[in-house]
Amino acid sequence: MNVILCSSNMLKGLYDISGVEVGQHLYWQIGGFQVHAQVLITSWVVIAILLGSVTVAVRNPQTIPTNGQNFFEYVLEFIRDLSKTQIGEEYGPWVPFIGTMFLFIFVSNWSGALLPWKLIELPHGELAAPTNDINTTVALALPTSVAYFYAGLTKKGLGYFGKYIQPTPILLPINILEDFTKPLSLSFRLFGNILADELVVVVLVSLVPLVVPIPVMFLGLFTSGIQALIFATLAAAYIGESMEGHH
Amino acid sequence: MANMVMASSKNLLPSLHPQPPTPKPHLPIPTQTQTQTPLSFPSLKSAALTAAIALSPVSAAMAAEMEKAALFDFNLTLPSIAAEFLLLMVALDKTYFTPLGKFMDERDASIREKLGDVKDTSSEVKQMEEQAAAIMRAARAEVSAALNQMKKETSVEVEAKLAEGRKKVEAELEEALAALERQKEETIAALDSQIAALSDEIVKKVLPV
Repeated sequence: MNVILCSSNMLKGLYDISGVEVGQHLYWQIGGFQVHAQVLITSWVVIAILLGSVTVAVRNPQTIPTNGQNFFEYVLEFIRDLSKTQIGEEYGPWVPFIGTMFLFIFVSNWSGALLPWKLIELPHGELAAPTNDINTTVALALPTSVAYFYAGLTKKGLGYFGKYIQPTPILLPINILEDFTKPLSLSFRLFGNILADELVVVVLVSLVPLVVPIPVMFLGLFTSGIQALIFATLAAAYIGESMEGHH
Repeated sequence: MANMVMASSKNLLPSLHPQPPTPKPHLPIPTQTQTQTPLSFPSLKSAALTAAIALSPVSAAMAAEMEKAALFDFNLTLPSIAAEFLLLMVALDKTYFTPLGKFMDERDASIREKLGDVKDTSSEVKQMEEQAAAIMRAARAEVSAALNQMKKETSVEVEAKLAEGRKKVEAELEEALAALERQKEETIAALDSQIAALSDEIVKKVLPV
C-alpha cells in the first residue's frame, strides 16, 4: 500500500511540477451540447491569420509579384504541384480542398509551437494547437472520406463500388475495412504527433527551462510541417486513387 | 498518468468525497501513516484507484481533476470544426485559390505569348541578317568587277601610249642612224677625193717630172 501511495504522490508531484495538462478542456455549453472552447478559440485565430494574410497579400495582384504575393504564389504552386502529382490531370477542382487542408493543419500546428498561447490564462485547460484535439483531426479526416467517395462516385457513377471486388472478391472485407482505416489513421496520426510533440516540449521545458528544449522545439516545427504535408498528400492520394480507372 | 488517457475514467472514479473541483489544488502532501485499507482487491489497479480515492484529500482532488481529463472526448467541437473547415475552404477559394490561380494562369499565358513573339522576331532578324549579308556580297562583287575593268582599261591605255612612245623613239633613232650614215658616206666621199688629190701631190713631189 505504501508503494501505491508513494507512486501516487510522486505522480501528483510530477503532475504539479511539470504543469502538463493533458485532456483538460474548457467546456462551453451550446444548446445542450458541450464544446471544447480552447480548440474553437485557437481555430478562430488560425482562420483569422489565414484569411487576413491572404487578403492582404493577394488583394491586388501585380504582374511582377512583391514579397507577400510572391510567397502566396509559391504556396499555391506547391499545392497545385502536390495535387497534380497525386490526383493527375483532373486536379483542378480539388486544389481548394487539398490546399485548405494543408494550410489549416500547417498553420494550426505551427501556431501551437510559435504563438505564445500560454500568456492567456483560461479558467480550465489551456490554449494550444487546435490539432492536438481529437475532435479537430477527426473533423478533418471525415471530410476527406466524404471527398474521395464523392470524387469516385461523380467520376464513375455506381461503377465506383466495383473497386471493392478488385482484384478479387476475396479482398472484399479488406477493401471495406480500408474505408474505415483511412480516416482513422489520418486523424490519429495527426493527433498523436502533435500532442506528443507538445508534450515533449512542455515536459522538457519543465525539467530544463533553458537551451535544452530548443532543438526539440525545432524538431517539433519540422514534425508539424511534415504532418501537414502528409495529411494533405494522403487526402489527395485517396482522392486520386478513387478517381483513377481500375485495371 | 495512465488514468488521464482513459476516457472511461469517469465511470471508474465515483466521487466519494464531494468537493468543489478546483483545477490545481496545492495541498500538503499527506504523510504515509494513513494506510489502513484492507488488501482485499482482486487487481492492483482497482486497489490503486481505491487507495487514491480513499486515502487522502489530495488524492481525491486529483481524482476529481483526473475525472475531467479526457483525450478522446468527442462532442460538438467535431462538427463545428468541420463546418469551420468547410467555410474556410469556401472563403480561401474565393479570396485565394481561384483569383490568384487565374491571375497566375493568365500571366503564364501572356508570357508564353510574348515569348512566342520574341521567337518570331528572332527569325525575322535572322532573315534580315541574311539579306544584309547577300547585299554585302553583291556590293563586294560589283566593286571588284569595276576594279578589274578599270585595271584592264588603264593597262590597255598605258600599253598603247607605251607602244606609241616606242614607235616614235624608233623612228627618231632610224632617222638619226640614216643621218649618221649619210654623213659617213659624205665624209668618206670627201676623204676619197682628198686622198686622190693628196696622192697626186705626193706623186708629183716624189717623182720629179
